[in-house]
Amino acid sequence: MAEHTEQFVPVGGAKIHYHKGGSGRPLVLLHGIHGDLGWCQHHKLLAENFTVYAPTLPGFGESERPAWLETVSDLARFTLWLIDELNISNVSLAGHSIGGWVAAEMATMSPSSFEALILVDAAGIQPEIGEITDIFLHGHDSTRSLSFFKPEQTPEFDQLFKAKPSRKTRNRQTQNQEAAARYFWKPYMFDPSLRWVLERVPTPTLVIWGQEDQIVPVECGILYRNALPRARAVIIPECGHYPHIEKPDEFSRIVQEFLDKLDGHN
Amino acid sequence: MFLMRFTERAYVDYTEKDVRDSFRNSVRLTFPNSHFSPARGADLYNTYLDEYEYAEEVGFDGLMLNEHHNTPTCMGAAMNLEAAILARTTKRAKIVLLGNPLPIFDNPLRLAEELAEIDMISRGRLVSGFVRGTGIETWATNTNPVYNRERFEEAHDLVIKTWTTPGPWRWEGKHYQFRVVNPFERPLQNPHPPVWIPGIGSPETLIWCAEHHYPYIYLETDPQVTLDLTAIYNETAERFGYQPGPQNFGYLVRVHVQDTDEKAYEVGKGFLVGNAGIGRVPLPGDFMAPPGYNSRAGAKRIVDQYKRYSLRPDPLYGGVDSAGWDKVVDSNRVIVGNPETVLRKLREVLSVVRPGILGIWTNDGTISHADTMRCLELMEHDVLPALRAMGEELGLPGPFEATP
Repeated sequence: MAEHTEQFVPVGGAKIHYHKGGSGRPLVLLHGIHGDLGWCQHHKLLAENFTVYAPTLPGFGESERPAWLETVSDLARFTLWLIDELNISNVSLAGHSIGGWVAAEMATMSPSSFEALILVDAAGIQPEIGEITDIFLHGHDSTRSLSFFKPEQTPEFDQLFKAKPSRKTRNRQTQNQEAAARYFWKPYMFDPSLRWVLERVPTPTLVIWGQEDQIVPVECGILYRNALPRARAVIIPECGHYPHIEKPDEFSRIVQEFLDKLDGHN
Repeated sequence: MFLMRFTERAYVDYTEKDVRDSFRNSVRLTFPNSHFSPARGADLYNTYLDEYEYAEEVGFDGLMLNEHHNTPTCMGAAMNLEAAILARTTKRAKIVLLGNPLPIFDNPLRLAEELAEIDMISRGRLVSGFVRGTGIETWATNTNPVYNRERFEEAHDLVIKTWTTPGPWRWEGKHYQFRVVNPFERPLQNPHPPVWIPGIGSPETLIWCAEHHYPYIYLETDPQVTLDLTAIYNETAERFGYQPGPQNFGYLVRVHVQDTDEKAYEVGKGFLVGNAGIGRVPLPGDFMAPPGYNSRAGAKRIVDQYKRYSLRPDPLYGGVDSAGWDKVVDSNRVIVGNPETVLRKLREVLSVVRPGILGIWTNDGTISHADTMRCLELMEHDVLPALRAMGEELGLPGPFEATP
């Protein structure tokens, strides 16, 4: 199993935390609204074939937030800058939930920067029929129960979510919620213009969605697929909002196959 | 001492089951408004305005109003409208608004205009309090809680400048931008109506308040907590070169008077059906304090102080009512009794807290109109004159007697 390290890189005067592990082509994974959950099983699996970078977005966890950084657009610009500072190229970019939204924004800002784009149950597009669940209004416990189709099939569920949190962890959770509220409160979890500018993204894109996602409806995945010129979608059955956590083997295999196939084409 | 009368203007025609059936069992924010009857509301608004007018007749110096949203516990969703009515129908008492929740206003200039009109119609009787609002106000108006304090301070600065700096001028702030600030109508009071700030003790607000020489009105805080918080205000004031006195502080407490202790004890239980809701179902904590609403240091301090001193089993959100009626009454957190009992208990509180402003929350919940009117009637001769004398004896000048 690939080893990993935790490091910091200065970006625009802020100290940004990231996990790095494995070897091979660079794959950047942006986390969801929970923030940094650590070096998880899907990271380990992907690190067997890629150099995986899992940065903590500014304001979350151990990453500082520059005072000017207050919007999703700011986050996207900043994360492009972060990739520059990491001095990596030929990057495949993946993001889950709000991280997927940030990844999509980044792709629209710099369409030729990425080898591949992978959006996992990504926020960012307003559904036409359903709604993105208001996780702030639902509260912590309800949101967690809505997030997984079957907690018992989720290998790391107990380790990640059931252990009694330490004071440090509780403080971190509070901090992450504040960061999320700052960036995503209104409009809630979508950018009205994003959908209309995705057309300019030429990047091969894989949209991965849990079929039973009760946070961001599958409909949003279809909207992403339809808006991105080179996108295809994989819907994982019996899976909730966290495919990479709930079904890490299947998730990692799908990502691996997509990137391998892409590599073959290249 | 400045004596003002208050009620939250509750709507109580619902059951505990209704509350428990609402989203996250909450009496605020998500409690369905299908439980509201406009016909009943019409009666209640008029009754509550009648009571305020009578409160002026019996001798109160101020008529205190507040504002909350999405809740049956307080029908003052548009407090300035009630204030405008009272500005016209009363003649002497101050109209004390505690307060307008500044962060939820996207147009503070409109607020400055409304308040100026109230001040003129009342011929200079407006006291313009400002608040950050509870988390519920943030949710109800979809205002980002992370920016609550920033918006509070910027809106305050904009309103005060609007009242005091001849226009036209331009405002380009972080949260508010206006090309032409030039509302034609300005307040009657010069330079502007007094500003008081109510709260439960956020240290940042106390410091800000002391910096501005604004009286701080404690809303039912535990007496020991109140003293701790006053120390924060005093330390700040000293840094800014002045010595605050009772005129810089107010204290709100529920006080219900009846002819006998026994009747007041029984009638006063109506308070339990109001502020925290029927059945006293605790509110979800994140409804009152959504992410980023409080600074982490401020939130920790508030929780710690309530854990140490509060009667509230749930430190912030259960309300005074959660502790049990006898405990609440015995500790003077709600004062009920005949006039003599009430005065004795108020002396105990005033001697410790030493406010120059006393907010008397006469009724709430299921306390009837008839009992409320009797309470006010008894206050006219048997309570308010004695309280004034007590204020003088204890050296508690209000903000209209000594400069804050």
